Amino acid sequence: MNNTIRRVAIIGGNRIPFARSNTVYSHVSNQEMLTATFQGLVDRFNLHGERLGDVAAGAVMKHSKDFNLVRETVLSTTLSPETPAYDLQQACGTGLEAVMLVANKIALGHIECGIGGGVDTTSDAPIGVNEKMRKILLEANRAKTTGQRLSIISQLRPSMLVKPSIPKNGEPRTGFSMGEHAELMAREWGIAREDQDQLTLKSHQNLAKAYNDGFFADLMTPFKGVTKDNNLRADLTIEKLRSLKPCFDKKVAPGQGTLTAGNSTPLTDGASAVLLGSEEWAKSRNLPVLAYITFSEVAAVDFFNKKEGLLMAPAYAVPRMLKRAGISLQDFDFYEIHEAFAAQVLCTLKAWEDPAYCKERLGLDQPLGSIDMSKLNINGSSLGAGHPFGATGGRLVATLAKMLSQKGSGRGLISICAAGGQGVVAILER
Amino acid sequence: MKLIEVNKLTNPVSMYVRAMQSSSKRPGVIEALPEVTYVRPRVVLQEAELAAYSRVCGFSRAHGVPITYPQMLVFPLAMIFFGSKYFPWPAVGTVHLGNNVKQYQRLNVGDELRMELSTGPLMSHEKGQVFTLDMRALRNDQLVWEGRQFLLRMGVRLPKGEPYATALGETTVLSHQADFFAAGGIGRRYGRISGDINPIHLSSITAKMFGFRKAIAHGMWTKARALATLMPREALEQAEAIVEFKTPLFLPARASLWTDRREDGALFEVRNAKGDKPHLRGLVTF
Repeated sequence: MNNTIRRVAIIGGNRIPFARSNTVYSHVSNQEMLTATFQGLVDRFNLHGERLGDVAAGAVMKHSKDFNLVRETVLSTTLSPETPAYDLQQACGTGLEAVMLVANKIALGHIECGIGGGVDTTSDAPIGVNEKMRKILLEANRAKTTGQRLSIISQLRPSMLVKPSIPKNGEPRTGFSMGEHAELMAREWGIAREDQDQLTLKSHQNLAKAYNDGFFADLMTPFKGVTKDNNLRADLTIEKLRSLKPCFDKKVAPGQGTLTAGNSTPLTDGASAVLLGSEEWAKSRNLPVLAYITFSEVAAVDFFNKKEGLLMAPAYAVPRMLKRAGISLQDFDFYEIHEAFAAQVLCTLKAWEDPAYCKERLGLDQPLGSIDMSKLNINGSSLGAGHPFGATGGRLVATLAKMLSQKGSGRGLISICAAGGQGVVAILER
Repeated sequence: MKLIEVNKLTNPVSMYVRAMQSSSKRPGVIEALPEVTYVRPRVVLQEAELAAYSRVCGFSRAHGVPITYPQMLVFPLAMIFFGSKYFPWPAVGTVHLGNNVKQYQRLNVGDELRMELSTGPLMSHEKGQVFTLDMRALRNDQLVWEGRQFLLRMGVRLPKGEPYATALGETTVLSHQADFFAAGGIGRRYGRISGDINPIHLSSITAKMFGFRKAIAHGMWTKARALATLMPREALEQAEAIVEFKTPLFLPARASLWTDRREDGALFEVRNAKGDKPHLRGLVTF
């Protein structure tokens, strides 16, 4: 039995431009977006008719009809219909987790190549029927006679039609939205509004520069006439960001909030995918390798009883991964920290610098220390690009892999926070 | 130093009329204000009055006694001073330039305070003569709160004293924090609880008689309204709030609050709805 672990190569990535919710992709489904993304990847690497080892992807917002979203998507592409696929979901960690699952199978020699990715739409949201109405309809379905059925149906009320069940961007256990949790974290860590706005400005400027440099030329497939993330504001100014009013403070800190629509990511539609393979497979197809996936880690925090910040899990995941890798936080050439909220990035960085937090919460003798901010998200990140939940991981992996290939050698860190107090992190190297 | 004790207040209207009657004054050159102190020896912080004040200004119960509140108890003394022979100018046409208040100890409902108002130094200003009124609150002979009002007599030539200068600088790194609505009737509501029934605050008709196109919000209301948003929702032991009034806030209006809020305080401005014109600039520390 061959039980050596192989290096996993990132061969390429693809995404469609991300679009703010209810704009250009309003009438597009998850499946259409993911199909366009996969097809772009297939076209770029000439995988028509190829049977891949596995395809893993997921969406956070799914309709009940999307039970086999990824397999259905694969069937809509020119990949061999004999390519297996499955769905998974780990909130905003979905994309990176999907990449890791495919990578792990390649590392173990179970498969030679595969695609990991993710997609999300908040425009084409799954609105369910009213919960009471749903129960009545199910009950009616179970009824044995027409009489019983009519008597159950008679319990339906018109009000049930106007009060549908709408998905919420919030934590079921706390009742707070993601933004409210991030606001609480910003308060706990004393993250100033100005610092959040400055980070936001940098994200937009970096992303705009990346577009100008043609960085995304081989990482993107135009879709529905869109060629650029439409959340990007290339002409954004710090004054504009300062002029926005906090939007998540009403419940948690009335009048004292720091998170605005500018320094928080908007609801976004989009999809991304990454092509992974063994080195042998890449060589056999003459495909250059961008970078290798070397480590990953997931963590979760107890945000309910221990009151840890909801989006602080990456702060826990990274030191655990660094310990396994035997390197320090400073041993990276690039940091790709997903900007769910500017405050989330700044809280995490501050936590790593805080000796008490590192000792008491993270169980470290020494704080991880600070990072060189000029290595952070240098081709922009979610604040500029937007954040389709499931698609962010694939965007980060492809972006970082390309940066490493451009540099020729080096190491990069990926960190993503996710709902439910989770964090998914990874190291790419070349 | 002359000490004048005030044990019984007449109603605000008659105090106001008396102050108005001073408009016949035609002083010559004023070198300094006469040194005079007005005292209300025993004023009890009343729950009902405090609640009414908090309601009008946007403070919550959790704020306790707002740092701006003790000035309400000094205001009648200022009105008496304006109507007295010690105040050399007509009362009408005095512009509120700035207001600093500082609290040294936590104030509580039921506290018995000795409120004092004294004349302070003159300061020169490009538009006229600035004079100052110093305010103090003592509890069991201990200074618990003090403040200074900066008031401008427009058009006084060759003003005396040190030049009046801004204490707050001109840096503009402020972010939009919140919006609030200054209702058309807020001048009347604040006038009722404060006793400051200057017609320019009460209605646009009365304001027009004094040359303003609309009623303008009391500066002290605007200050209090901004602090109600900025101050932590707890009764503080110590705090200081300095403001400079920039332009009138015409009623009714939607105003925006801009700040660089930090853990121990904030520089702030109340601006128009668009956020490009400041009505008031301040610094609060707590």
